[in-house]
Amino acid sequence: MGPLIPNGIITGNWDFVIALLLGIAFGFILEASGFSSSRNIAGVFYGYNFVVLRVFFTAVIVAMVGFLYFDYFGWLDLDKIFILPTYLGPMIVGSVIMGFGFVLGGFCPGTSYTAIAIGKMDALLFTVGLFVGIFIFSEAFPLFEDFYYSGYLGNVTLSDVTGIPAAWFAFAFTVIALASFWITMLIEKRVRKNIKEYKF
Amino acid sequence: MNRNYFFLTVLMLVLAAGTFFLNREPEYEQIKPEKLLYDIIQPTRYVTTDQVARFIIDKDPTLELVDVRSAASYDHFSLNNAINIPFDSLLSPNYQDYFGIPGTKVVFYSNDDILADQAWVITRRMGINETYVMKGGLNCWIETIIQPKEPPEDAPYTAFELYQFRKGAQMYFTGAKVDNSVVKKKKVAVRRKKKQKVAAGGC
Repeated sequence: MGPLIPNGIITGNWDFVIALLLGIAFGFILEASGFSSSRNIAGVFYGYNFVVLRVFFTAVIVAMVGFLYFDYFGWLDLDKIFILPTYLGPMIVGSVIMGFGFVLGGFCPGTSYTAIAIGKMDALLFTVGLFVGIFIFSEAFPLFEDFYYSGYLGNVTLSDVTGIPAAWFAFAFTVIALASFWITMLIEKRVRKNIKEYKF
Repeated sequence: MNRNYFFLTVLMLVLAAGTFFLNREPEYEQIKPEKLLYDIIQPTRYVTTDQVARFIIDKDPTLELVDVRSAASYDHFSLNNAINIPFDSLLSPNYQDYFGIPGTKVVFYSNDDILADQAWVITRRMGINETYVMKGGLNCWIETIIQPKEPPEDAPYTAFELYQFRKGAQMYFTGAKVDNSVVKKKKVAVRRKKKQKVAAGGC
């Protein structure tokens, strides 16, 4: 059956409608998960709130395992889904920069908009900085264009690169995620005991 | 410890472990035997050589001609813009992208109907729609398009129209020149009026 557009079940004209609906759902889930609070997000790095890690890890393992079942039942053809191309070096550098931005600002781009939606001033300043960053990046792009496109591996998955079946990765990620849930719960308890000025 | 968390952890582990038993080998979906039988007895899967010739001449972008003969036969002779998918490679993953493209009609051909018909049955069993067979294959193509025969004099008008189309198609595909011998020039008898003798002299 799926994916719907490559299989011709619906036309590509539905792209923006689907993007709008998914965007609304994504924003709602982010807000409902408490991601509109920079304290919750930055808490990962200080050890008092691991909700970000738990929500995203849950999303990853449910999607990984779920897609494998969907493929098996014939609901989604995994050979037809779009896979982002991999630029190894630039992606590692980008991830580090993103991490720094996360710690310093307390938001990522998506969560900053959900925070604006509920009227947070710090999120408003964050998005101003975001656009300034986009402007600087765009203007300075010719300087690091060669690096930006380096390390191209194609539209590959971990299974393609390593030859290890996807089920192994799904299981390994699930074990790591579940272990991290329990471990971070213990860390949270310990750290929160020593924090007096913030109510959880 | 929250009991729900424990339950969800175990459930997720079981589901993740279950993925080891999911077979990811491609399994082709098959249509129901009744549906296949119904489709087989329908003549709608056939397209004539004239229709194919017209598609090619019109440069129909939705046409995908598939030559199911061997690569050697394909190299020796093939129709314009046809791709070669040898019959024994029809199920190869390398060729699957050629089938099931929305808005594209796949026309199989071989030297006769038989191999192309078998290719059609296989693709129909795989659930691929919009596949057709060129009736009569290349043998019919040679007879009708490359070497068309003039209909007898008492044939209906449509037969002559078809013949004219085939002659045009023959020129298109072979580069043959217009055969003037067909149109015989009839001698037109010119009647000349006899000059009237005008009465000489005046009044």
